[in-house]
Amino acid sequence: MSHLVTVAAIAAFAFAVSAALARPLPATAPQAAPFFGGGSAETHAWQRYHFRAYTMTLVFIAFEMEMMFMYPWAVVFVAEGGKAMAEMGMFLGILAIGLLYGWREGVFRWQ
Amino acid sequence: MAVRLFHRMAARSAPAVFVCIGPRMQALVEGLFARAQSRRMESPAGAAILLVAGDIPRRAAVALDRIHDQIPPPRETVHWDGCDDPMTELLAAWARLMAGESGEPDRLPDDPPNPWKGHGDHGQGGEGMMGGVPYGRPMAMTGEDPRDGLKLDAYTMRVGPFAPMLPPGLVLELTLQGDLIASARVTEAPFPQPEDANAPRACAARLLRLLGLGPQADRLLRGTAPRSLNAVRALPVGLGAAGTGGDARTRLRGWLEGKPAEGPPPDIPRLLEGREWHEAVVLLNSWPPDTIRQAAEAAR
Repeated sequence: MSHLVTVAAIAAFAFAVSAALARPLPATAPQAAPFFGGGSAETHAWQRYHFRAYTMTLVFIAFEMEMMFMYPWAVVFVAEGGKAMAEMGMFLGILAIGLLYGWREGVFRWQ
Repeated sequence: MAVRLFHRMAARSAPAVFVCIGPRMQALVEGLFARAQSRRMESPAGAAILLVAGDIPRRAAVALDRIHDQIPPPRETVHWDGCDDPMTELLAAWARLMAGESGEPDRLPDDPPNPWKGHGDHGQGGEGMMGGVPYGRPMAMTGEDPRDGLKLDAYTMRVGPFAPMLPPGLVLELTLQGDLIASARVTEAPFPQPEDANAPRACAARLLRLLGLGPQADRLLRGTAPRSLNAVRALPVGLGAAGTGGDARTRLRGWLEGKPAEGPPPDIPRLLEGREWHEAVVLLNSWPPDTIRQAAEAAR
């Protein structure tokens, strides 16, 4: 425990010293503006735009969660054998139907 | 002791330069950075030295000052008229900066373009996401999206005259929605450049560098013949198809084979509207600078 506290204290000290040494200069108004090769913008850069990768991101998260279910399944699979195989097959089958549906709806098309 | 060692090691590295190209200097600058031991940065944020090549016309003076101030201090300016080799001056400036000299002060005042004024106790904003003038710029408002009809914020900005991906001197006023160009207007035409900037090799090298093939572009500029024409595959077929001149890929293949590009100058606003930014930049670099200059003069 005391070692942990010592390491944490040393790390905090090192961070504080490096932050004090490497403190950047405050940005002036021209530096705070975006770089347009000498040009300037009329409005602030905070804006609403169409995030075109959105549907793909959602599909990615769905399949990532599916992988998370497969880790505990892989442990049980050794003991259960064919029954676990069939269960995972049903799970993946249902997901695949969803994937095909999304494909038909055109969510994988970049637009 | 250690700090001084770091200074010496930093001074031995290649100078990080942002270059502002004036009239008649484009081919000279490109040749310089293909040969010399210096890094041409794509934005002032990564540079320490501002290289001003040629006489910058008065209309670009404010833009030059803005870029000077966007280089983080310490910084230095080096002027080059194209006669002698600027490397000695660049290296000397780099060594001074790395030795810890304070460099040049800002040229423009440290004021926002408009006073930061709005509602609230501290003038911090407006209503919801609309209104208010944060950092002196009003918030973007919605406009019609030409692509899918979503009402998204329209962002109007002027790019150039020293944008490294555009012909030097060209100023475009673009209204962007995300990365989509909703409308484009030519404000200023590119600076005149002599014939060597339109040479097939120079044009091909410029386009290859834009596609991320920097070493290949350097080899071309140093005079080595291209080993293969595979680089044209980086451009999609049909991009920038214009009448008899073929598409961007045809023009790049012609340049790599040593043939000058043919075909009439494009109509720049019509060419850019509805494009994404990366397409627009590739398109503008797929014609020789002289053709783009004629097109910009016609569209101004």
